Amino acid sequence: MANNNRIDHKKQLRTGAVKAFLLTLPMLLLTGFMMSKGQPLPKEPIHLIPFIAAYLFINGIFFAMIYTGRTNRYRTILFVTYAACFVLFFITNLIEVRGSMVLTQKDMVQGRTPFCHMVIPMVIIPAALTKTIIFPGSMLEGFASIGTMLVLWFGVTLALGRGWCSWGCFFGGMDEGFSKIGKNPVIKSIGKKWTYLPFAILLVIVLTSANAMYPTYCAWLCPFKAVTEFAEITSAKVLLQTVIFFSLFAGLVVVMPILTKRRTQCGLFCPMGAMQSLTNKLNVFDIRIDTNNCSQCRLCVKSCPVFALDEESVRKGTTCITCSKCGKCVEVCPNGAVSFHIKGTDVSGNERKARLMFIYPAFFLLAIMGSSVIIGAIYRVLLLMTTGSMFK
Amino acid sequence: MIFFKGLMLGLASGAVCVTYCAPLLVPYLLGRGQNVLKNLLTILYFMGGRLTGYLMFAVIAWAVGLAAASSMTNERAVFGIISIILAGLMIVYGFKSSADNCAGKKANFFSGKLNVNNQTAFPAILGFLTGLNLCPPFLLAFTEAARTEALWKSMLFFAAFFVGTSVYIIPLAMLGLTRRMEDLRYVGRLAAGVMGLYYLYSGILSLKGV
Repeated sequence: MANNNRIDHKKQLRTGAVKAFLLTLPMLLLTGFMMSKGQPLPKEPIHLIPFIAAYLFINGIFFAMIYTGRTNRYRTILFVTYAACFVLFFITNLIEVRGSMVLTQKDMVQGRTPFCHMVIPMVIIPAALTKTIIFPGSMLEGFASIGTMLVLWFGVTLALGRGWCSWGCFFGGMDEGFSKIGKNPVIKSIGKKWTYLPFAILLVIVLTSANAMYPTYCAWLCPFKAVTEFAEITSAKVLLQTVIFFSLFAGLVVVMPILTKRRTQCGLFCPMGAMQSLTNKLNVFDIRIDTNNCSQCRLCVKSCPVFALDEESVRKGTTCITCSKCGKCVEVCPNGAVSFHIKGTDVSGNERKARLMFIYPAFFLLAIMGSSVIIGAIYRVLLLMTTGSMFK
Repeated sequence: MIFFKGLMLGLASGAVCVTYCAPLLVPYLLGRGQNVLKNLLTILYFMGGRLTGYLMFAVIAWAVGLAAASSMTNERAVFGIISIILAGLMIVYGFKSSADNCAGKKANFFSGKLNVNNQTAFPAILGFLTGLNLCPPFLLAFTEAARTEALWKSMLFFAAFFVGTSVYIIPLAMLGLTRRMEDLRYVGRLAAGVMGLYYLYSGILSLKGV
């Protein structure tokens, strides 16, 4: 019976090839315009090939998502590719511009530190109290300026809430990628109380940053410094900071995801994820569980990458506040009881429409964030293949 | 006049004071999950402890005078030790489960001797240790008090400074409005533990003179 339900549900979300192509057309147009920035295509093969490859890859993923009805599987492929390309693109870019991954005092004084979304929770109170952004970056100039990231984050937050963490964040794909290594989890369960840790860290970094007037998370706790940039080691203090960054990266982004098959950095540590969780209430999309069809098998609870489902939430027919809308629970449910949902509409009967309504903005965000770094990474690889160096 | 000066300094710099007290007080209050009135009482104990710390400094400020006071601000070891004690309290409060009533508890030094659930002594001790910390507004008050020639004037100045800064701290009692959110207790307790680690690090750096 459950098997029949599953087949019906898969069929319900699947779309015919022609219809899937028609539904992909808006994305083809949108991404084409967005990726080319309205300019003619580049003529040199070294620029044209990465553009076409990224364009076809991204839209191929979208087509597959629509055609097969599998949201999470194809999102994961693009999301992990995006994260891997981000590391390659970012590091090569830094080395080309600055000469190394090391961030010197001079770079900070000159406001040349790229601003990432992780800093946002820490800048709000100091900005409100002192009209100062406590970050050594540029407000509008250069790549990854403070203004651009703030505007982008605000819009995405209103539209998707914590969907940012599974569809926009350039770090999320790293622990997701490592969580795919291996077949079965070695660590099968993690105490519920540890899922509160990201909120505790959020509270601590907001309070300490307001007190110290510098972003304490960036200075002390960000695991991703290990694969982006870190301060020049000039003292024992900076050495300690660097050791912390690499240890957290190894533990939370590599080892724990392999052992648990979950996104442990995102689900058990990331303060930005905690802040995005609070904004989940603001947007119209959520995940619902049809309790009439649910067989209480707990597959969704066991497989949620960010620990956003527990017995109580399943009983209530909803997820916890920390849901990142990745769609994994929708895919693993054997009864088709879990679905994307638009608040204020009926849970059953609208699954297909709700999923499509969600996928367009969410996927477009992933395309916006991912396209330039995928193009950049392919360009670097081509450069290496043709010239023997990744740098111009 | 001296009271007015202290009060004005407290009012002017109270917002900065909050950024020093809030990292301790906010996780503590969230972790307790009390209503607004009980939070207010806790804050009063905290501020009582803080006032004691201030008055102690008032006596020192008056006794040592400005020159010695300024040299004392360079002596970071005392403040390092204070931070480490604060760290210990916060870590025990944060990571020790209040529901832990096992027999082994008696054997544990911290669990046995330090009752983190004592609603009077614990916030008062936190307040006292916070009162001894050198935040920038406090340094200003310390310098000003060191200029006074009479002990009562120095104490009055610090008392007025305390009243001025308290205006900003009392609203934290409103955190009691969130008491129905059971999850926030866990968040508060964990945050207190993490904050303890932060103070531990600050204390060690102060001791090493970094």
